[in-house]
Formats: sequence, C-alpha cells, structure tokens
Amino acid sequence: MSQSRQITTSKTGVPIIAIVALAIVFVAGLFIVGFDQGHIFSVVYGEQAFEDLYIHELTHDMRHAAGFPCH
Amino acid sequence: MRTSLFLLVVLISGAIAGLIWGSANFVLVEPYLDEAIGIENQNLFASGEEEDTLEFWVEYEGYRTWQKGGQILAGVILGTSIGALYGIVFAFSRNSLPGNNNIKKGLILASIMWFTIFLIPFLKYPANPPTVGEGETVVLRAILYLSFIAISGFSALGFYKLSKVFQGKKKLVALAGYAVFISAIFLVMPENPDEITAPMELVNGFRIMSVVAVSSFWIAIGLILGLLWNRFKPNREISTFND
Repeated sequence: MSQSRQITTSKTGVPIIAIVALAIVFVAGLFIVGFDQGHIFSVVYGEQAFEDLYIHELTHDMRHAAGFPCH
Repeated sequence: MRTSLFLLVVLISGAIAGLIWGSANFVLVEPYLDEAIGIENQNLFASGEEEDTLEFWVEYEGYRTWQKGGQILAGVILGTSIGALYGIVFAFSRNSLPGNNNIKKGLILASIMWFTIFLIPFLKYPANPPTVGEGETVVLRAILYLSFIAISGFSALGFYKLSKVFQGKKKLVALAGYAVFISAIFLVMPENPDEITAPMELVNGFRIMSVVAVSSFWIAIGLILGLLWNRFKPNREISTFND
C-alpha cells in the first residue's frame, strides 16, 4: 500500500521570470506616474495626446507630492 | 520559490501601500497643492494669459477633480511600481537582513530604501508644489533627480557588497563608505536650476507633508509585505512523494 508524504522545503533562489516581471512593473509604473507627457496615449491618438496630457493630469498631484518634476 | 505566489504577495503589498500613500497625500498634501494652484491662477490673471471668468472656473474645477481623484489611482500605480523594486530586493536580501521574522526584516529593508532612494535624493532635490519650476528645465530636473536616486541606491548596494570583503566591522565599513561617497556626489551634482517664487511657508509645509506621506508608504510596504510573507511563505515549496 502506497502512502503520500509532503515535504516542505525553503528555497532561497529567486525565479528569473519573477524578477523580469517585477522589473517591467517597476519601470512601467515609474514612467506612467513620474514622466509621461502624453507619450503613452500618443501611440493611439498621435500628436493630440501631447496636447491632452490625460495621464499627466491624472498623475499630476502624485507627481508633485512624490518629488518628480512635473512642469 | 513559488513564482505566482511571490508575485502576488509583492504586487498586492505594493498596491495597498500605494493606496495608503495616495490617501495620505489626499489628506495631507492636497491643501498645499490647492493653495499653490490658487497662486498660479492669480499669476495667470495678472499676466493676462487667462481671464477670471465663469468659463475658466468651470474648466478649472473639471481638471482639478480629475487630478485629485487621479492622486489615489496614481498612488496605487506608483506604489505597485516601487513595491515591485522593493520585492526584488527583499527576495534577494531576506536571509541577510537582521530580524527574527519577516515583518522586522521588511521594516528594516523599507527603512534602508526610504533613506537611500528617497530621503537623501529628497534633501538634494526636494519636492516642489505647482508654481515652482520652469517648463524648459523639466527634462533636466527629471534627469538630475533620477540620476541621484540611481547613484544613491546603487552605491548603497555596492558598499554593502564591498563590505563583505572586510572582516569584523562590516556594517561600519559599508556605512562610512556610503556616507563619504554620497556626500561627495551631493556636493558635485548641480543644484535645481529653478528659482523658488512661491512663499517659503507654503513650500516648506508642502515638503514636510510630502515626506510624511512618502514615509507612510515605506512603513506600510514593510509591514504588509512582511505580514503576507509570514502568512503565505512564498519561499517554501511543498513536494509530494508516493512511497
């Protein structure tokens, strides 16, 4: 008769895929809140996005409060 | 390490800490932003760029509502982003961090990162409210600010790694090395090129509240990630064997 055994092991290795995913989240989030001046929406709306500045306005107050240069 | 669980713990911690940050800004920093934008509006009227009309105020209320509401969402996005960086560093340094549980380890790492990538850069390039800052210098200021953050963060990491070579007082070597290096960088890096034209009482009040709000994020991320790591232990893998 077979028995199942569970062994819990603690591993220190950090998966590369997780590091890559977190690095992408870090860079993307930092750019959106800290630096976008219409760049992201310009992919869809073209030059008009640099006039509308939707993300800039959305993140405006956090940008100032977090110390990023805003305008 | 269980990848999905690790990612969930890190991203949820960052998002919640970011929500706390955005909310703290909403309560603490927002009154200073309103005051600064009020001065900006008066300057626009005085220079003739805008007219003090009902139409102006309707448009103003519209975008200020968008900006104020956006602060919370931006807090969640930025919190998740910085939380991702914090999660990477935590995963690599957890075994080296002092403390007998993950909450202590989380708070110690948060305090180190708060000091090196927030407080030191903030002392050189402090946050400014609207009305301070020229549009023509925004790219230069962004480069200076980001560069200082990167130099401070990487040098802290570098001196920590370097200190491992030395026997005995490793912490002292890392601290002294970082202190000397970052002091030199502090003196060498150019100043913010823009003149402060707003009342200093307003600017200082804004800066103090900004520090309090950012600090709330770092305390929150250390606590939350430590709690979630204790609860879910993403570093532990369960293997099942059949005899």
